[in-house]
Amino acid sequence: MNLHLVSAASCIADVIKVFNPQSPQARAIFDFAIVVIVVMVMIFAVVVGIVTYALLRFPRWREGERDPEQGAGHKTIEIVWTAIPLLIVIILFVLAARTMGISDPPPPPNPDIMIIGHQWWWEARYTDSGAIVANEIHIPVGKPLALRLDAADVLHEFWVPELSRKMTTVPGHPNHIWIQAEKPGTYLGFCSEFCGTQHAWMHFLIVAEPQDEFQKWVQAQLVAAPSPSTYNAQKGLALFQQMSCVNCHAIKGTTASSQVGPDLTHFATRRQIGAGIVDNTPENLRRWLRDPQQVKVGVKMPNFKFTDEQVTELADYIETLK
Amino acid sequence: MNGDTTVTGTVSHLLTPEERQHWKLSWLSTVDHKRIGVLYMVTGLVFFVFAGIEALLIRLQLMVPNNTLLGPDTYNWMFTMHGTTMIFLVAMPVLFGIMNYILPLQIGARDMAFPRLNALGVWLVPFGGILLHFSFLAGGPPMVGWFAYTPLSETPYSSQLGVDYWAVSLLVLGIGSVSAGINFIVTVLTQRAPGMTLRRLPLFSWMIFMNAFLVILALPILNAGLVMLLIDRLLGGRFFLPFGGGSAIMWQHIFWAFGHPEVYIVAIPAFAILSEVIPVFSRKPIFGHEFVAASTVVIVILSLLVWAHHMFTVGLGRAVDLFFVAASVLIAVPTGVKLFNWSATMVGGRVRFTTPMLFCVAALLQFLLGGLTGVSHALAPLDWQTKNSYYLVAHFHNVFVGLIVFAILGGIYYWFPKMSGRMMSERIGKWTFWLMTIGFNLTFMIQHVLGLAGMPRRTYTYPDLPGWGWMNMVSTIGALFMTAASILFVWDLVRSLLRGKPAGDNPWNAWTLEWATTSPPPHENFDALPPIRSRRPLWDYENPDRPDPVVPVGGALDTFRPGKNAAGMITFIISEAGFFGVLILAYLFYNATTQSGAGARELDVLKTTIFSICLFASSFTIWRSEVAERRNNHGKMKVWLVATILLGGIFIVGQGLEYWTLFQRGVTVGLDLFATTFFTLTGFHGLHVCVGLIALMIVLGVGFTRTFKKRHLPALGPVGLYWHFVDVVWLLVFSIVYLWPLIR
Amino acid sequence: MTTQQFLTSAWTWNFAALVSSGVALVAYVWAFGVNRRIVYLLAGLTVFVFTLCSPLNALAAGYLFSAHMLQHIVLLLIVPALLLMSLPRWVSFGRRSLAISNPFIGWISGVGAMWLWHARPLCNAAVSSQFVNAAQICSLVLLGTVFWRQILAPREDERMSPPGAVLYLFSACVACSILGILITFSPVSVCPIYAQPLADRLGVLSLVQSNWGITPDKDQQIGGLLMWVPMCLVYLVAIIAQLARWFAHPVASVVASVHPQHVRSRSGMD
Repeated sequence: MNLHLVSAASCIADVIKVFNPQSPQARAIFDFAIVVIVVMVMIFAVVVGIVTYALLRFPRWREGERDPEQGAGHKTIEIVWTAIPLLIVIILFVLAARTMGISDPPPPPNPDIMIIGHQWWWEARYTDSGAIVANEIHIPVGKPLALRLDAADVLHEFWVPELSRKMTTVPGHPNHIWIQAEKPGTYLGFCSEFCGTQHAWMHFLIVAEPQDEFQKWVQAQLVAAPSPSTYNAQKGLALFQQMSCVNCHAIKGTTASSQVGPDLTHFATRRQIGAGIVDNTPENLRRWLRDPQQVKVGVKMPNFKFTDEQVTELADYIETLK
Repeated sequence: MNGDTTVTGTVSHLLTPEERQHWKLSWLSTVDHKRIGVLYMVTGLVFFVFAGIEALLIRLQLMVPNNTLLGPDTYNWMFTMHGTTMIFLVAMPVLFGIMNYILPLQIGARDMAFPRLNALGVWLVPFGGILLHFSFLAGGPPMVGWFAYTPLSETPYSSQLGVDYWAVSLLVLGIGSVSAGINFIVTVLTQRAPGMTLRRLPLFSWMIFMNAFLVILALPILNAGLVMLLIDRLLGGRFFLPFGGGSAIMWQHIFWAFGHPEVYIVAIPAFAILSEVIPVFSRKPIFGHEFVAASTVVIVILSLLVWAHHMFTVGLGRAVDLFFVAASVLIAVPTGVKLFNWSATMVGGRVRFTTPMLFCVAALLQFLLGGLTGVSHALAPLDWQTKNSYYLVAHFHNVFVGLIVFAILGGIYYWFPKMSGRMMSERIGKWTFWLMTIGFNLTFMIQHVLGLAGMPRRTYTYPDLPGWGWMNMVSTIGALFMTAASILFVWDLVRSLLRGKPAGDNPWNAWTLEWATTSPPPHENFDALPPIRSRRPLWDYENPDRPDPVVPVGGALDTFRPGKNAAGMITFIISEAGFFGVLILAYLFYNATTQSGAGARELDVLKTTIFSICLFASSFTIWRSEVAERRNNHGKMKVWLVATILLGGIFIVGQGLEYWTLFQRGVTVGLDLFATTFFTLTGFHGLHVCVGLIALMIVLGVGFTRTFKKRHLPALGPVGLYWHFVDVVWLLVFSIVYLWPLIR
Repeated sequence: MTTQQFLTSAWTWNFAALVSSGVALVAYVWAFGVNRRIVYLLAGLTVFVFTLCSPLNALAAGYLFSAHMLQHIVLLLIVPALLLMSLPRWVSFGRRSLAISNPFIGWISGVGAMWLWHARPLCNAAVSSQFVNAAQICSLVLLGTVFWRQILAPREDERMSPPGAVLYLFSACVACSILGILITFSPVSVCPIYAQPLADRLGVLSLVQSNWGITPDKDQQIGGLLMWVPMCLVYLVAIIAQLARWFAHPVASVVASVHPQHVRSRSGMD
């Protein structure tokens, strides 16, 4: 029995991300939510109670019967049910103000990570180390990080339900939030402000790992891409540099340095392609190169109509970007 | 079956014998408030079919994870059109239809104050709706959501014409709604039956009266925002483009300054229906009439004050968030007062579970939930988690469907006998009710959980995360129930219209004046009216042994009955003031810091001062003209009128010259923020001057015709008011645009 | 300096405020005697003295625009309302003083006071000059009285009728909201003297800016919001009172037509 309850609870926590806070910021909101839910349920019960009482306690109307007593109101009752809700909302306001302080403290002068929303992917720049990544943001466990949120084109919204509040990224109006993970794990994040065709696939992952692993990851991100060793991959690199790939993408260690699209220097370490639409498998990578529009309709990367040979070469090269 | 003859047969009792020959034309050309009401509702019903099919397709697409029934762009235009259509082309027209039909009857009037304006308002609805849907033929419908957040809705990110059609269509609908709002206000003020003092207004009429103020205050804000968006898109303006110096957040302020009151514009009529239906079927007067009425006023005012709670996640800063949490949660108090009073009305009553009552009780409970989740959105920290998730979708559908659609259905079941003379089927009605209630709650209850599970709104598909699949499936199944209920409802409408039981004058034994006439009412509504001493004249009439306490006449304003032309013009001016207010605030905001480049320095203050003096002088001349008219000195009146037109003309020519000089120097709308705001503000003022000039010329022309030689010119007063208003606006604009840079 | 030290030490004995309050109290007792309504007077004078002697005044004098705004709202809306409510119900303002019996003048006084004193030169002067500051305080209380007189005149027949009063208050709320919105979102400083305080006389600048976290731009935002939201709520409370007055109207004016009759007939309408 107990086991059932536990598994039910963990199942609920699995599904309902907002009720599964993994940071002090999100937990403050969750705690407040519980208070509000209790208050709401009580009010709901009172009104439903009055209605049920009214409907069940008194006889139904019958044709031709004399109408009941025409009571038209009661001043004291009115004052009571104006004053009590007023008191409740005042209390809720105070609690809300307190929660706002805990879940969203003022930003420090220098953010740890700068997040930039693009149509339809996320860019993250680590200010300390200078690492630039896309769609997969690693953070050290237990450390509150200050995020600066910006957008390159339209409005987006940065939301990781388990870890923090959501916040819109507004071009020309940088916003700030705090994020923290108490336990190692991978947390799914969403863009929650409609931002155009592929708004649905603008997911990202927050990977929380212990400090030393995080450090290793950051160092790895700073390493330039090795020059490819296999023949196919070398041809792939040549192709990458000849074609218009370089107009959008950067790969450290090559001539490609454009910041329009995601930085591909460590593409092969990422778990997903296209901001969450497919897993990063060799198969999917080839599908993507063959025609990105087939995988993610409307994505800003056009169909380059590569030949099968070119696709293989490019994929072989890109898979070396560890 | 020949459709024409059948319809002619059923609606024959609505037509005079002469009209029967040309029933189509008599409906198209009607100025009768009852027919206009029906036209509003039928238009709303037609668009409901469109938006309903869109909703169903949206739900079918979301039925299973990674579904491919609809592509992303198809899905995106579908939810945009669904939202826009449901709010502007379904909820508002249907409610305006009910208001149009019932309000004049309930206050004992023969018709609305301005029947022709009323006809204009109703025909603008299909016009606006067709414009919106014309985008399908002109490069693709809008794909920006119903609030079209900038910069996504700006040309660089939505280059097709869809957004332009969307904006123009909303502008047309907005103008139509303002005209209807003006008409409702003036009708209540000037067309009430003798004895129907303001304090004796039944709650429905009182709430519609209050709501009309919200309409004329809120819609112009949207109109101003829309013209700014259109100037950005069509003339290369820079209002909302961050990369051109504009502000993306400004659009949100303008939109929600309209958008939040808009929620109440459609919710208050629903409150009004509940306040009418629940007492009648509890066989008791409403509990605490005064408190329900006063809480409406409080809601109207507060609703104008709290729009920033739609923007808690935009990053307005802690201070703004806190103040707006405080203001927003306060709305819960007057809303709660309403809910408590409706519930208390049923206590001690003899409840009749007719279909309208069932819908209204369900609306009450569903709105209770929607209101409570609304409080959770007003509390910023919770909003930070739930905004833009399916929790929000569930919340506002609880209000829009759970309250408003249910109230509309209740209202239609309640007043259909009055409108058609026939009863709707109780049996089918109860089926509709249960299907609708089960369907609605299946569809939207689960969405609260979906939102807390992290599903963002407006996503065309979703990954197969634990729980998401089955919850969406449940929601879609609910939508199928609602579809069935809708089809059943329409079928019942048609069936009852053709073969319903005759209703009689007062089938529900209700107490307000609309039931004191035949069903459907004759052309000018009443043969005779019972005396009006309380809020329930028919109760007093039928229960002489225990009448309601007489509501005393108190204060001059209780029986206030201004002239309808002046009242109409003043309400119009109030709404225009809102429009210019937004443009002026935008000008001040964008020009608060001195711009580099061509700015106010390019303006020739001296020349404009001279032209402005001409315009200000014309206020004097038109006043003289009015004085002359009052003294029956028609010659002098015309001379002063001509002088006014000349002075106004000089001003317009002067402004034209100024524009020309600026264009010569390369200062055009798209140059910089100063130019964009300058041309928008002065241009719209110029447009108003031109409209005023045309109106003055018409008045002058009428003055010259023979017919009016011996009579008064009733139009001169209102046109004069309008002209003064235009001058006052210029006084402000002139001080801000031309004089302010000199002193700072 | 800590917050507590500041709150205990920053009291100033504003001589003029104390004396004028004392005079008002004596004059009231002399004219009307001690009655139930003196409670309102005491409340009004307490609020008045508190506003001008407490740390709020210290903050308003050069540190915080928002504190100044709070002072402004209290002096314009709260104090005059309480003073008017303290007058016995028989006191008449008479019809002689035409100017202040005109609702339009009343409205302009209430709203104009807000707009005028936030013009940049006047706003700065009210901080830097003792004299202007005194003029500001007097004018706010006076103009506030003229504004509220339309609503709270002691005699019922000298007040506006409730629906008119609702419009009067609502339009005042809108007019103040517009100014509040402008101040809240203005990218430039409305009252620059608060943005660059001339002298940190009390040595609390760092307390205010670091410990409380109220930087000059936040300060202005809070000031604007105070005018926008709480000030409108004050008007709203007054509006609710007017609605209560209207719906509870006990006027026993008898309705003439109590016998059933057919008021209008269709043929009789043109």
